[in-house]
Amino acid sequence: MRLRKWQDGSPIKVFVMPDGNPTHIAFSKHVLRVFPYQLRSAWNRLVFSGTGEEPIIVESEEKMREAISSTPGAIGYLSRSMLNESVKAISNN
Amino acid sequence: MNQLKLSLIISKKHSSGQHVFKSGLFYLVLLFNISTSLQAFELTDTISLHGFLTQGYFLTSSNRIFGESDTGGSLDFTEAGLNVSWNPDADLRFAGQILFRRAGTGHAHDLELDFGLVDYAILSNPETLLGARFGRFKNPLGLYNETRDVLFTRPTVLLPQSIYLERTRDLALSADGGLIYGEYRTEAGNWLVEIGAGVPRGNNLDTELAYFGSNYPGETEPKLSYIGRLSYEREGGKYRAALSSVWLDVRYEPQFAIPDDLPSVKDIFIPVIFSVQYNGDPVSLTAEYATRRIQRTSVGHTLDLDITGYSYYLQAIYRFNEDWQFIARYDALYNNRADKYGKGYQALTKRPAHTQFATDWTFGVRYNLTPSLLIAAEYHYVNGTAWLPYQDNPNVSDLEKRWQIFSLATSFRF
Repeated sequence: MRLRKWQDGSPIKVFVMPDGNPTHIAFSKHVLRVFPYQLRSAWNRLVFSGTGEEPIIVESEEKMREAISSTPGAIGYLSRSMLNESVKAISNN
Repeated sequence: MNQLKLSLIISKKHSSGQHVFKSGLFYLVLLFNISTSLQAFELTDTISLHGFLTQGYFLTSSNRIFGESDTGGSLDFTEAGLNVSWNPDADLRFAGQILFRRAGTGHAHDLELDFGLVDYAILSNPETLLGARFGRFKNPLGLYNETRDVLFTRPTVLLPQSIYLERTRDLALSADGGLIYGEYRTEAGNWLVEIGAGVPRGNNLDTELAYFGSNYPGETEPKLSYIGRLSYEREGGKYRAALSSVWLDVRYEPQFAIPDDLPSVKDIFIPVIFSVQYNGDPVSLTAEYATRRIQRTSVGHTLDLDITGYSYYLQAIYRFNEDWQFIARYDALYNNRADKYGKGYQALTKRPAHTQFATDWTFGVRYNLTPSLLIAAEYHYVNGTAWLPYQDNPNVSDLEKRWQIFSLATSFRF
């Protein structure tokens, strides 16, 4: 990911689910409006050219929620039903 | 760009409460967790390790590529890379990659530092990124050069040779020096500029063969050269375009006097590459066009020349689903615009005209067994030998003008 830090200077930690995960596909297509293969291809280019990092992959929504709530500066996505008080939700509109 | 969209989302974090974004059947939300106080990170939190391993098989009807491919096929094609990066803070990165490669005659087991750099961002906010890289950096050239050794990032086992020539690979790979970059992100797309100065790799036999067609007693050595690329990208890479160029300085210093050696030679090679790409669903379309000018000056002017060649390819990828894709490509290379089919070259040098051009129809399939494991197969029908690797084909009179390649490869990444 190209944006590296929050406004307070702390590093951004991006979490995503695996390429074929239905929530990942839905988030890519409907929120980011890109196809998952475009994300994968951009991340591969960053990693293997030495110019950037790819997001950290978590296997499930439970693990996503756990990772977000326990990692400072973390950002990710979840289905609405997975929300609880351990994480804070924001919207893109 | 997805990063742009994320950044827009992120920039509103302070004003947002609990909102839900509704789209079709899905309810999706973004989550964040902002540290309220400085916290020490474990070292392991800031280190990433990645790698890949590819094994290929090449079978040719005649002419050789990556070993003795014309006699029952060759397995002399292996690519393996291991890379590590360390981010001590958000603006500072260290990254390096070791590459092991088997690629036919003269490359039985190459082990090299592919890149090794420190990257510092001077300015980093949602709209703008400005920074510099020092050390050994990958040359920003066209759409595929920086990750040309990673099968996951290239469309076919054999990249379009019109732009990504195997025979001058080492010169194109990476350079030792510095590079500055600037990125400007807007609603209408992202602009990225990279400008570098460095000494390219390629102080070896491949370079001498590519430049002079033969192994001479003296030394062929790249000198300080310059590279630049302007890229534009929008909608997360749905539309991509780039203009890249190099000013590449290569010198030959003889060991002996004429006639036992060449004179001292200075070669300036200036390729200019135009790249466009559309990434849709289910089709991706890519085209790259290059002009390639070579200006050679030599002591005594006996080898002087100024030749401009050109090359291009058109490529379509059709994705049947997330796992299967089909690819078709037409690829063409002409060494000399003024002597497209090499007739003048043949009259002058007595070497075959077909060494001066090559067209290549490629058809391939790829299957992703998992996100980390793929299999690719492809067929090439080639007319001409302009990009054949020299070391696999030492005798020019053995070459066939029309030939075919079948290739099979599997690759793993983590």
